[in-house]
Amino acid sequence: MNRLSKLGQYGIFLAFALICLVLALSTPKFFTVSNLLIIGNQVSINALLAFGVTFVIITGGIDLSLGSMVAVTGVAAATFAHPDAYPLVVPLLVGLAAGSAMGAFNGLVITKSKVPPFIVTLGTMTIGRGLALILSKGRPVSNLSDEFNFIGGGNIAGIPFPIIILIVAFAVCSVVLNKTILGRYMYAVGGNEPAARASGIRVSRVKMWVYTICGLLSALGGILLTSRITTGQPNAGAGFELDAIAAAIIGGTSTAGGTGTMTGTLIGALLIGVISNSLDLLNVTSYYQQVVMGVIIIGAVVLDGVGKKD
Amino acid sequence: MKRNAIFAILIATGLLAGCNQSSDQKSGDGRGEKLVIGATMLSMQNEFIVNVSDAMEAKAKEMGVELITVDAERSALKQVEQVESFIGQGVDAIIMNPCEVEASSPAVKLAMDAKIPIINVNSETSAKPTAFVGSDDTESARIAMKYIAEKLGGKGNVLMMHGFMGQAAQIKRDNGAKEILKANPGLKLLAEQSGEWDRAKGMSLTENWIQSYGDKINAIFAQNDEMGMGAVKALEAAGLKNKVLVVSVDAIPDALQAVKRGPLDATVFQNAKEQGGKAIETAVKAARKEAFEKEVLIPFQLVTKGNVGSFLK
Amino acid sequence: MADHILRVREISKSFSGVQALDNIHFDLKKGEVHALMGENGAGKSTLMKILIGLVAPDSGEVLLEGTNLAGNNVNETLKKGISMIHQEILIIPELTVAQNIFLGREKELSGKSGWLSGWLNDSVINQRAAALLDRMGVNIAPDAKMKHLSVAQMQMVEIAKAISNNAKVIIMDEPTSAISDKEVATLFQIIRDLKAQGVGIIYISHKMDEIFRISDTITVLRDGKYIGTKPAAELNHNALIAMMVGREIAQMFPEATQAVGEEVLSVRNLGRAGKFSNISFTVKSGEIVGLAGLMGAGRTEIARAIFGLDQWDEGEITLKTSPLRARTPREAIDRGVGYVSEDRKGLGFIPRMSVKDNITLSSMNNHRKGGFIDKQSEESATEKMIADLKIKTAGTGQHVTYLSGGNQQKVVIGRVLLASPELIILDEPTRGVDVGAKFEIYKLIRSLADRGMAIIMISSELPEILGLSDRILVLSKGKQMALLPKSEATQEVIMRYAVG
Repeated sequence: MNRLSKLGQYGIFLAFALICLVLALSTPKFFTVSNLLIIGNQVSINALLAFGVTFVIITGGIDLSLGSMVAVTGVAAATFAHPDAYPLVVPLLVGLAAGSAMGAFNGLVITKSKVPPFIVTLGTMTIGRGLALILSKGRPVSNLSDEFNFIGGGNIAGIPFPIIILIVAFAVCSVVLNKTILGRYMYAVGGNEPAARASGIRVSRVKMWVYTICGLLSALGGILLTSRITTGQPNAGAGFELDAIAAAIIGGTSTAGGTGTMTGTLIGALLIGVISNSLDLLNVTSYYQQVVMGVIIIGAVVLDGVGKKD
Repeated sequence: MKRNAIFAILIATGLLAGCNQSSDQKSGDGRGEKLVIGATMLSMQNEFIVNVSDAMEAKAKEMGVELITVDAERSALKQVEQVESFIGQGVDAIIMNPCEVEASSPAVKLAMDAKIPIINVNSETSAKPTAFVGSDDTESARIAMKYIAEKLGGKGNVLMMHGFMGQAAQIKRDNGAKEILKANPGLKLLAEQSGEWDRAKGMSLTENWIQSYGDKINAIFAQNDEMGMGAVKALEAAGLKNKVLVVSVDAIPDALQAVKRGPLDATVFQNAKEQGGKAIETAVKAARKEAFEKEVLIPFQLVTKGNVGSFLK
Repeated sequence: MADHILRVREISKSFSGVQALDNIHFDLKKGEVHALMGENGAGKSTLMKILIGLVAPDSGEVLLEGTNLAGNNVNETLKKGISMIHQEILIIPELTVAQNIFLGREKELSGKSGWLSGWLNDSVINQRAAALLDRMGVNIAPDAKMKHLSVAQMQMVEIAKAISNNAKVIIMDEPTSAISDKEVATLFQIIRDLKAQGVGIIYISHKMDEIFRISDTITVLRDGKYIGTKPAAELNHNALIAMMVGREIAQMFPEATQAVGEEVLSVRNLGRAGKFSNISFTVKSGEIVGLAGLMGAGRTEIARAIFGLDQWDEGEITLKTSPLRARTPREAIDRGVGYVSEDRKGLGFIPRMSVKDNITLSSMNNHRKGGFIDKQSEESATEKMIADLKIKTAGTGQHVTYLSGGNQQKVVIGRVLLASPELIILDEPTRGVDVGAKFEIYKLIRSLADRGMAIIMISSELPEILGLSDRILVLSKGKQMALLPKSEATQEVIMRYAVG
């Protein structure tokens, strides 16, 4: 039992390694530098959102408005990113500010109204989609400056820029979660909210932070996506929240709150990315891709859960 | 808490009242002489549909009829309900941009039973409406694939990017493309996969294809411009764009710009303006019981660098 | 011989090398209430799991009316007549009383056969439930939803469920942990009726008074070993504790060694609508003030008001020299108030966090470098607290879930102490704690007072209140009945005031 539970802790890593091994054996194109860079690039947006929602889920909440925040922030940034209009920082700040504001709005409503986060963010998900359409008047915002497009499309020393953003964001999020008081409080709030409050933690403040950070990371994802496809699309990001939540859960974050790690979430996001990449490489038709993806998500969590009982 | 609930309801009622007012004003003045046409559109989040809708709006203004446009948000159920309420309001004609071939058909039947002319625009339903205005999707794919065959001299490896599997446009564009492929045995379909009409997905898919097939790729046919633009981005990043031909369908402004600049080799113009305008014309004729064509087919046009200028406004 | 309904013979069981039960035996007679005593970890719960068929023993046998139950699962032992009423009440709140009682047996009760038996027949089960509850002398409507019942009523429904199974043996695990004294009386009446009908009852409880009130025979386990079985009449309090702990506890309640100092807390005419009114008392440095009263007397509510978990409507609270009106626990903690809740799992600790993370949670401000955690200072503070409070843990990184009740309580006290309070409110500090650990907690409370802290202790156990408090405030239904000095307080006096 003891050995099994130890194995369970690393279940997700094992599952990931196993799947990579199988893929490397089944197609020689999988394990090449260029393909790995492509996977990293494709994974980056989902991973950023997953980092954000990991914070939220650790505190026992949920955020369904990620995808809509991607759209709003993407459109908002694109509006200010036309060539020769404003310096690059303007669209970036506008996007990040829009995301933080939406996240803070989520946090405010959740802490003041006591309405469950599921309902509140379901509402903001729809509001956000509407805002994106209003801002863009229903049309993609295109013709963006080269500097802006570099964020999602450029390379530094052969490494796609999104991967660099991903690594930096991962490092920062890990530090926040493990090394700061705020991170400790997140675990406490998710682990037992009444006890956290009785311990003198300002629970509302922690939640405000968490949803705001989640909005900020969604904005980063939105900017990255907009830059990558060189247009701000009001209907972008639909369904992204589900992929992000899936990555966090595959990575061992419990929806009951109180547990979860950034490393786990990163692996979860990579797992999803690797699967969709390799199924394309193997030319598996999209009907089967969806089935395979679902099976792997459940399988990974089952394997992860085997040792965690008790 | 209770007070909060009441407050929320008040706000919601206020908002609704506000919305109602604006539509009341529209339909309020001079109902007697002015024709009223109700239009339900597939999705106002889709740029092409928005363009059709804008053309309808412009034409309606020009002809002096009143147009009420609603968004079905891709839900056939919602669309049927919208048509029901148009019938309830007693509009003079209905224009429907159907969500689905089968599921939107009941709306056609409802309108026909109520003896209100109903015109399908852009895509079809299995139930026969008063008239159809649009283009044949099969044709658009034929045009695109013919261009690829011509450019490759009838020989080479082709990849095809599908839309959402099972949608009418995807099925028809698939049929059209496959027809031409069959007629050109020198063209080999290396792989086909869905990009779900989405630019980012199309880009990822192309990146993965490049890994798989690399230099072997000669051309990519994307069933819409969004995916085509994604393919172009991926090929440019891999430095392969000048070796691979990319053709897509719809001629959205972004795609036209890309054709003008060069990276997108061709797109197929589906005439949104013409479709919208003709739909209104047909609806007005039908409402006034004048003679009208039962099927108005707006031809597609191939857009290449040579003629792109005339499509750019 | 024939009156032995259940015989447990030489049961042994080990889990991954740890001997949980070692040659345990005991006999239950028809119509007997047999108390099973022992500290946490003595093996009681493992033994019960074996009896109900949840766990298979390594060796030994369980005989129900002479038949070996080996190899039976929970459902089979239930059908044969062994029912258990769990400490945590297992009910489905959205179903009715009758539906809960007959849950899982709808088919047999539907009165139909074949596929028709899948149809629910609520009127039949309502009638049967009504008859059953009537026979028990309990006034609960069979079609009431479970969630509208009080905890005691739920307990009664659980018992009804056991009886409806035609149980020959009923195991009750801490059945009074969540019910009031009056309801305990009803429960005991039901137990006496069951006895009269020849049902054998195995009774598990930490409450000594109850054990002596209700049980005929007492069996004691310690560290998985059988210690002895005696008629209840031959044992007294101290003798039973000695059997359980394995040694005599000479002095349960340590005496104060320091004189009482300045006034720390003053509560004047405090009131909260519907909860309590006109409460006035003071607590001095080095003093322990006990709050006594029955369940619902308003003791916890007063504590929550002082600590900022609830608000109050009238009166005033003064801490040291300035008024205190905490709107959140944070403000109370910053002013030097600490609160150890009665609801340890709900308001006490965070189960999935380590001992260290729990202990430092209220005082992170003392272990920081900017927004970052100063892990070294945190670690050393925790180690010191573990040593001070003698917390038994595998290390600072151990998850609190895996500690015993007494050690969990010490972790919560440690967290409160680390925030350097001047006033500590301890609400039922020994609830669910072993006898041995209780003694340690008493010593700890007294030593805190001797260090100059002001202490309010709420407890439902009168010996505890009497033994430890310097002064005792007795409440009844939200009203202050008496404020007694230690010299005037006896069990009888307190109970007289508490009953109102």
